[in-house]
Amino acid sequence: MKRFVWLWFAASSLALAGQVSTAETRPQYGGTLRIAIREEITSLDPGDSAQSDSVARRNVFGLIFETLVTVDDRGRVHPALATRWQAEPGNQRWQFEIRRGVKFHDGSELTPEVAAAALRASNPAWRVLAQGDFVVVECERADSELPAELALTHNSIARKNNGAKDGVAKISGTGPFRIETWQPGKYLTLAAEENHWRGRAFVDSIDIQMGKNFREQALELEGDKADVVEVAPEQVQRVIMAGQHVSSSQPVELLALVFADEPRNTDDKTIRSALAHSIERRSMRTVLLQGSGVPVASLLPNWMTGYGSAFSTDVELKRAREERTQVHDAPVLTVGYDANDSLARTLVERVALNAQDAGLTLRPLASTNTDLRLMRIPLASPDPWVSLENEAEVLDLAVPQTTGDSVEDLFAAEQALLAKQRVIPLLYLPTDWALSPAVGDWSVGADGSWRLDEVSMGKDRP
Amino acid sequence: MVIEMWQSIRLFLPMACRRSFLTLFLVLSFVGVLTASDWSDPARQLARKIAGVTGPGAVSITLENRSSLAKKDFDAVGGLLRIEMESLGLRAVAEEQAAASVHVTFSENPQFYVWVTEIRQGNADPTVAIVSLPRRDEIGVVHDSMPMSLRKIPLWAQESRILDVSVLDDDSAPQHIAVLDGERVAIYRQKNGKWQTEQNLAITHARPWPHDLRGLLIPAKDHLFDVYLPGVFCQTSVSVPLNLNCRESDDPWPLPNAAGAQPLRGFYAASRNFFTGALTPGVGSLTNVGKFYSAVAVPRTHYALWLFAGVDGQVHLADGVSEQSTKLDWGSDLVSVRTGCGVGWQVLATAADATNGDSLRAYEIADRDPAAVSVALDFSGEITALWPDVKYDSAIAVVRERERGEYEAFRVAVVCGE
Repeated sequence: MKRFVWLWFAASSLALAGQVSTAETRPQYGGTLRIAIREEITSLDPGDSAQSDSVARRNVFGLIFETLVTVDDRGRVHPALATRWQAEPGNQRWQFEIRRGVKFHDGSELTPEVAAAALRASNPAWRVLAQGDFVVVECERADSELPAELALTHNSIARKNNGAKDGVAKISGTGPFRIETWQPGKYLTLAAEENHWRGRAFVDSIDIQMGKNFREQALELEGDKADVVEVAPEQVQRVIMAGQHVSSSQPVELLALVFADEPRNTDDKTIRSALAHSIERRSMRTVLLQGSGVPVASLLPNWMTGYGSAFSTDVELKRAREERTQVHDAPVLTVGYDANDSLARTLVERVALNAQDAGLTLRPLASTNTDLRLMRIPLASPDPWVSLENEAEVLDLAVPQTTGDSVEDLFAAEQALLAKQRVIPLLYLPTDWALSPAVGDWSVGADGSWRLDEVSMGKDRP
Repeated sequence: MVIEMWQSIRLFLPMACRRSFLTLFLVLSFVGVLTASDWSDPARQLARKIAGVTGPGAVSITLENRSSLAKKDFDAVGGLLRIEMESLGLRAVAEEQAAASVHVTFSENPQFYVWVTEIRQGNADPTVAIVSLPRRDEIGVVHDSMPMSLRKIPLWAQESRILDVSVLDDDSAPQHIAVLDGERVAIYRQKNGKWQTEQNLAITHARPWPHDLRGLLIPAKDHLFDVYLPGVFCQTSVSVPLNLNCRESDDPWPLPNAAGAQPLRGFYAASRNFFTGALTPGVGSLTNVGKFYSAVAVPRTHYALWLFAGVDGQVHLADGVSEQSTKLDWGSDLVSVRTGCGVGWQVLATAADATNGDSLRAYEIADRDPAAVSVALDFSGEITALWPDVKYDSAIAVVRERERGEYEAFRVAVVCGE
């Protein structure tokens, strides 16, 4: 059936491509963009840490809310709700001048007081206050990466109106789209903000259907009920071969085996090293992922650092076996995965087979209470330092202090984190989207972020 | 340095040859921008790091290019690295004779070239040495094989969106330019081979700009220039020091008119990216052609044929007597230039298919059907603005470079007889 769906895509997309072959190149105003995602977003509060981080969630929040600054694909910080900023000597106290004339979707004005309150709520460890036109942030320690951290979704500037009865009115942002209708976990409709400070978006509205699996999304696209849908990584090549337009980000999601604890003794370290050396990442990519993703042995992807080749992804079975023989009583290790994640299960089973070749026993379980588990960790930011710090936080590790911020320093920090043997990186996956021919000027950032205020809908659909 | 060389060479050239020679000179100069000297410092650094691990002696060296470095640069860097290593007492030998094996991967990230070296000695885990250096980009050369060809000459590049560039002097090698973006008009002057900021004139506007912002710089007779932006009109002061006075305005924009036809103006939608379609005084009795993105005039014996690139994807033709709409494989932006080639004028049009970066192509229109007279000139990103140069003998194209996101303005000229 899947095959039929994608073949149908090929035929329909060719037909539609014919209709728009003389399309103008400048973007058009108007129309509705319909998107389907798997994620079931149940809260529109960007500071709500109860929901897991994901690229899709960040993208949805980025339509409604904005941050003081943004980070581009090269990791450079740009003004957004703050027009300029500066650090006092020592990089512990920062001042951000708040942009004037920006309004929340509820009509209230963005002020330094409101921005400070939002940042205080999401960062209890910071001292944040409003001073004149500025928001002042005092960190616990020197933080040269603070501007890039402020571009993270949880640092979005949201205005909460706790007195409002309507769920939509309870929270308000300054982003290019405002909330029209909202059914938690199911449906979200956004409308273009006419007077957005960066100019009105091209499309009039965006409909987002949530909780749709890959197959349902493919059917939505096939039935012209969606314009943009997610594509499973193992399906990407097939979809492209079928002639469908697929847009992919850089590899932005780390799949890694994460140990529950630090190694307790030398035997523990040796077993972990043997497991790491036994894994055949390349066959995972070619067979299980049908060529999608990138095998990695590093925490950050090579496109971001350039030094990925320094972390070997080669399988070293002989070395793994030698390490295994150094330990008399190797324990049976339980390895967990998300029961709803079929790819995770397949990968874990493959890891168990590889481990078996090295004389190790791994028992896959659809549970989180295991010795190690397969985790998906999305890159937090195009800034490598912010991303590494975020990964360290997810892994419950402290980021090593460095003297500088060069590529060499970043390499040393990453090497030190990996040396703790809490994580075995496996693959980095991109985010992939299949698009209907009506979608124009679609682009995604290197980190998978949508740029929907730049998207326009072709004239073949109202 | 390139500019200084040009200043010397041009003294010996007849006036008539200067323009053609300048084009060739600039293209050839930029091709050779990356020289061996750019790589020698990092090559030396890396050699020292390698020698610091291995000490003097016999090593095997393998090099791998996983970056955007061109082969000639990769070869140049490899050669320099070997020389530097030899000067530190490292002898390159076959792997079986080597005390250490050195594998260098030339890689990159968005901001830096990253050279990663793995040094293996015996059975020990490899030692890694890294050197990084800021990336720079080459300017490509366009090859063609048609009756005419298009040449692009870089004028200016910056991070913020360039809306238009005006060359303020008559010299074929620009010495004085004005660059319009959404916040200012910046005037630059060439001094000792480098562009120096002469003045920044701020643009004031009360309303936010629309997406896909467009703007136009028009030289004026009694003052330096006028600026047209969506809902805003600015004018430089007559006297020095130069000021830019801006006001909200829905005055129509002058439509580029290389054909010397009756001046025509079009009303621009203040919160959108197109002309509303309303014209003044009109083409004959035609005062509204529907929304359009750009317009050009093509000369006829007694009249001008106007072409409008419509928002509906069609090209509308009007000559004051009849109107016609047609679908062409053109994009949204058109410009006409007056040249010494072919029938004396050409229309430059963007291509409709912009999936792999935009391109420009020259056309001549004998009757109503355009005929391509050049191959497509490719750009490494989307063309965000296309306007005629001041004298209508070339075009100004602004491109948003796909990888870096930077805006680059080019002067695009038609070259005859190739």
